[in-house]
Amino acid sequence: MLSRIAESLFWLARYIERAEDTARILDVNYHMLLEQSQSYRLRWEPLIVMAGEENRFSQLYGEANAENVFDFLAFRQDNPSSIVQCIAKARENARTIRDRISREMWEDINGLYYNVARFNPRDEIAAGPHRFCDEIKFGAHRFHGVTDATMPHDEGWQFLRIGWSLERAEMTARLVDVQYQNLLEELPAVGSADNHQWMAVLRSVGASEAYHRQYHSSIEPEKVAEMLILHPLHPRSIRFSTSEVRSGLRALSGTGADSYANEAERFAGKIVQRLSYDKMSEIFKQGLHGYLEELLGMCGAIGDDIARTYFYYAVVA
Amino acid sequence: MASIPSPTVRHGLFEGYETGNFYDEMFVAPGEPRPHYAKLFQKLGAMAPAQFEERRKLADLSFLIQGITFTVYSDGQGTERLFPFDLIPRIIPHSEWERIDRGLAQRVVALNLFLQDVYGKQRIFKDRQISRSLVYSCPHFRREVIGIEVPRGIYTHICGIDLIRDSKTGEFCVLEDNVRTPSGVSYVLENRLVMTRTLPDAFQAGEVLPVHHYPNELARILRSLSPRGEDDGEIVLLTPGIYNSAYFEHSFLAQQMGIELVEGRDLIVDGGIVFMKTIHGLKRVDVIYRRVDDDFLDSLTFRSDSILGVPGLMGAYRAGNVALANAVGNGVADDKAIYAYVPDFIRYYLGEDPILRSVETYICARPKDLDYVLGHLPELVVKAVGESGGYGMLIGPKAEAKKIEEFRQRILANPRNYIAQPVIALSRVPSYDPATRTVGGRHVDLRPYCLYDGKHVTIVPGGLTRVALQRGSLVVNSSQGGGSKDTWVLRGEE
Repeated sequence: MLSRIAESLFWLARYIERAEDTARILDVNYHMLLEQSQSYRLRWEPLIVMAGEENRFSQLYGEANAENVFDFLAFRQDNPSSIVQCIAKARENARTIRDRISREMWEDINGLYYNVARFNPRDEIAAGPHRFCDEIKFGAHRFHGVTDATMPHDEGWQFLRIGWSLERAEMTARLVDVQYQNLLEELPAVGSADNHQWMAVLRSVGASEAYHRQYHSSIEPEKVAEMLILHPLHPRSIRFSTSEVRSGLRALSGTGADSYANEAERFAGKIVQRLSYDKMSEIFKQGLHGYLEELLGMCGAIGDDIARTYFYYAVVA
Repeated sequence: MASIPSPTVRHGLFEGYETGNFYDEMFVAPGEPRPHYAKLFQKLGAMAPAQFEERRKLADLSFLIQGITFTVYSDGQGTERLFPFDLIPRIIPHSEWERIDRGLAQRVVALNLFLQDVYGKQRIFKDRQISRSLVYSCPHFRREVIGIEVPRGIYTHICGIDLIRDSKTGEFCVLEDNVRTPSGVSYVLENRLVMTRTLPDAFQAGEVLPVHHYPNELARILRSLSPRGEDDGEIVLLTPGIYNSAYFEHSFLAQQMGIELVEGRDLIVDGGIVFMKTIHGLKRVDVIYRRVDDDFLDSLTFRSDSILGVPGLMGAYRAGNVALANAVGNGVADDKAIYAYVPDFIRYYLGEDPILRSVETYICARPKDLDYVLGHLPELVVKAVGESGGYGMLIGPKAEAKKIEEFRQRILANPRNYIAQPVIALSRVPSYDPATRTVGGRHVDLRPYCLYDGKHVTIVPGGLTRVALQRGSLVVNSSQGGGSKDTWVLRGEE
């Protein structure tokens, strides 16, 4: 497989995932407004912090309110990680490799692009983000479904899998990091009845039902964090996502379980190892923020080394 | 030709349709279809315009979702546009097609022999059939490839030869040859697909000859060129990238043939061998179906500012380590001045009379022709010899005095660069105008795609019918408001 094509597949999957994750977080946060209690003010800043776009946002808008944040994260053309930009870039990547993905995949992504372009930001901001975010979520789900149903699980598929899993791991890590800090500051006392916001965090990753089955308890921040970081099977936990990355990398290089062929595999192995044996109490002792920062650093290193190993290796001619 | 006002048709979609003073492909006279159009007339004629409009929208949507678009650069930044598709097909009777098929095959073989000769032994100059200076002064003549032995002696693997039907005689003739990197064949295949989906009822079972074997046939020819033998050949399609107006076609053909679609940056030449960069290292490439022009192929041999090609590619080509389709330097054969000599080539190389007529051509490089052209500019079509896509053209009868004067100066400054031809009244096919929701006659041409394997010429029945959708326009090029139609060749009576 051509390096350029592998790279496009990797980014195609990342952009779709980023669009979906952003849509999920936006949607849930917005709906928390509707059932918000009086005890604290729902904050929008964390969403901007998560996207890493504080500077750009403050240049464009006065304050972080529901409308501004929705506009910025969903529609702004000059925000490179806005949903419309992610979809446009996903489609651009798909277009350069449309001969390598199935016709159904291409038509699905192309259709999603045109659907998204049809939304009028003004109307959507007035109506609230649900309709728009739903379109994105289902668009992403269709993409996964069509991919699964029509694309052979060959090397190209491994690059897609690594792309969406790595993006998902990073997004979940940021979500937990930002919300945890924010909520612990805001909430009157941990364990109080006011756990709507934690509920929202769970819902944004589609994990609230799983949480209840797993813990049979009310929403407790530590357990929510545990679910999102350490759960071995939930598809959006960091542990699950990074072990997907590891499996994909091993499938590409043919490396066995106890070794590694490149730095990307070494880091992926390290992360999965830690997440398999660490306990929440240990993580809190070390400091959650520092722990997640470290994970994010390693995820970044995995991305860099994939590029070095597969996309931009030096050719001596 | 009916010059008296035609009676109008009172029949659904074709109500009020007039054939005008042109050869109409569908009607002998208003309301009176030609025999090969009779069944279609029954089906479409019974359709209400609103019903037809609905089908048309479906077809457009289908092209959009499939991303079958081309890019226009008129506004400085490339914009993706749909290539307008007209749902009323162009039908060619079988007997007529048979003759076209033989005529095109003859022409392709002669053009190939000409290229072999020009870049090889150059017999034709010694026999004084054409002057060396006329050939060497073609803008697309490539001195760099003289003496290179191309695989299996094939230069013209893929040709798109433009035909028109002259309203005056009702006869098909050759308008121009495209033997460099002709595009448009993907539309032939996609138009057919969309047509069968949107107007399935219009196809009379089994009567329309299929076109879908084109990619298989092309792949077979490309495989046969591999220097390492057919079974070991790695074949790729080289595209300038997604910003090229024909990018859709490049990816479409690569996918249909199951070969890698590469850009210049994916390839590298090492030790006279071409490789592509894969995730597991370098992999050897044997055959390149290149959709990049000669000038941009190799910055070491041709334009040094090109980033679309592969530095060193010509070295590998010369050494016989890689095959290119089409060959380099083909532009000398589709030069519009050389065009006038193709009937002579057919007689000289094949000892046969040309089956298809050519359009009378004045070569401004010849003093006598030049005088005539300058004296008759308002009646003639003037074309720059190396241009394609409908650019660099003057249509005398439609041009303003200022533009004619401008062309006169250009011709005088560089006569070799221009030829002129009489204006030909292209035939028309009924076409739907979405703005007025009516059907009117629109001018068409026909570009069949010919594949040559060194022995046989295979031509997909029909080809691309391009249609000048603007009322009265004669320019069918997609870059200038043209659209296309599905083209049917009917199965012959056994």
